[in-house]
Amino acid sequence: MAVHGPEVYTYLFGNPSLPITETMVNYWIVMLFILFLCIFLTHGMKKIPKGKQVIAEKIVLMVDNLVDQNMGPNSRIYSPYIATLLMSSAFGSLVSLVALRSVTADLNTTLGWALITFVMITYTKIRYGGFKNYLKSFTEPIAVMLPLNIISECATPVSMSFRHFGNIAGGLVITTLLLSALGSLSTMLHIPIPLLQIGIPGVTSLYFDLFSGCIQAFIFSMLTMAYVGSAKE
Amino acid sequence: MEIFQNFVTIGGWNIFVTLCNTFITYLIVRKFLFKPVRKMLAARSEEVQAMYDQAESDRAEAAAMKKDYTESIANAKAEAAQITQTATRRATVRSEEILAEANRQAADMKKKAEQSIEMERKKAMNEIKDEIAGLSIMIASKVVEKDINQKDHERLIEEFIDKVG
Repeated sequence: MAVHGPEVYTYLFGNPSLPITETMVNYWIVMLFILFLCIFLTHGMKKIPKGKQVIAEKIVLMVDNLVDQNMGPNSRIYSPYIATLLMSSAFGSLVSLVALRSVTADLNTTLGWALITFVMITYTKIRYGGFKNYLKSFTEPIAVMLPLNIISECATPVSMSFRHFGNIAGGLVITTLLLSALGSLSTMLHIPIPLLQIGIPGVTSLYFDLFSGCIQAFIFSMLTMAYVGSAKE
Repeated sequence: MEIFQNFVTIGGWNIFVTLCNTFITYLIVRKFLFKPVRKMLAARSEEVQAMYDQAESDRAEAAAMKKDYTESIANAKAEAAQITQTATRRATVRSEEILAEANRQAADMKKKAEQSIEMERKKAMNEIKDEIAGLSIMIASKVVEKDINQKDHERLIEEFIDKVG
């Protein structure tokens, strides 16, 4: 049993450096799902909320609340992006439940998001502290710390992206290995059908796919909010 | 034949596609989730605010009306009391006037009656005197005939009657 990276379906314009991968296609599926979900939830809204509208309002209020708590007041402009992160990450991880490869089990996805966070942090620091102070902050508390500060600055997106990628990819690997091991065990016990593969991977999947996917989405969003929020000071 | 990427890869193109996808998702979430929900929330809070304002103004109006009513009721009470007082006073004055008038009239009538009684009495007395005098003279003249003239007789009889009466 092999654990592969994302499959390459085709190359854009036949150019080998422009692959269309499984991750991209699955992300598009997730995007379509988010689009339909948003339209469905906000369709036919009334002043007195009912059913699905309550969910839509709850999502917006919850994200606004999180943003207020972690990024301080007047930060609600970030709310749609945080919601985007939460939904993309959660649904991107949970597509594995419908037998698609997780979008977040590809380092390019999580690294892309981490880079956005990094840009937001840097932009916020420069905007609130000025460019001079931003440069000066690398030499604090003493000038010798400059290399360490640069590394620590770069470590933020790297650690964020690897954490998210590692959790989901690790879950994928473990689930695949477990499935394969249970299949081999069935064969060894001379059971004609791989009986042991039923049920047990589902239980472990509850943790590795469902819980891990949701918690990593939450952690990634929280870290983004916390870093950008603290960059204001 | 299926082609797979390495399990861990970093590719500029892949990251670029991720960024584009994320940006489009951001636009979707902003336009189709946040915009309508925020609009609805704002509309609702506006409506609630309007309702509160309405309720507040209604309450103020009611309080003002209550104050007005209380004042006018107090005024009415005072007015009624005043009217009653005035009426009572006027009635008292009038009744006293009427009583005084009645007393006066009664006194007048009594006085008149007394006067007329006195007059009648005097008149009667005079008539009786005249009558008695005439009778006496007639009797005396019958008895004494020409001894005494009529004038002397009359004087004597007057004296007699005065002594008697």
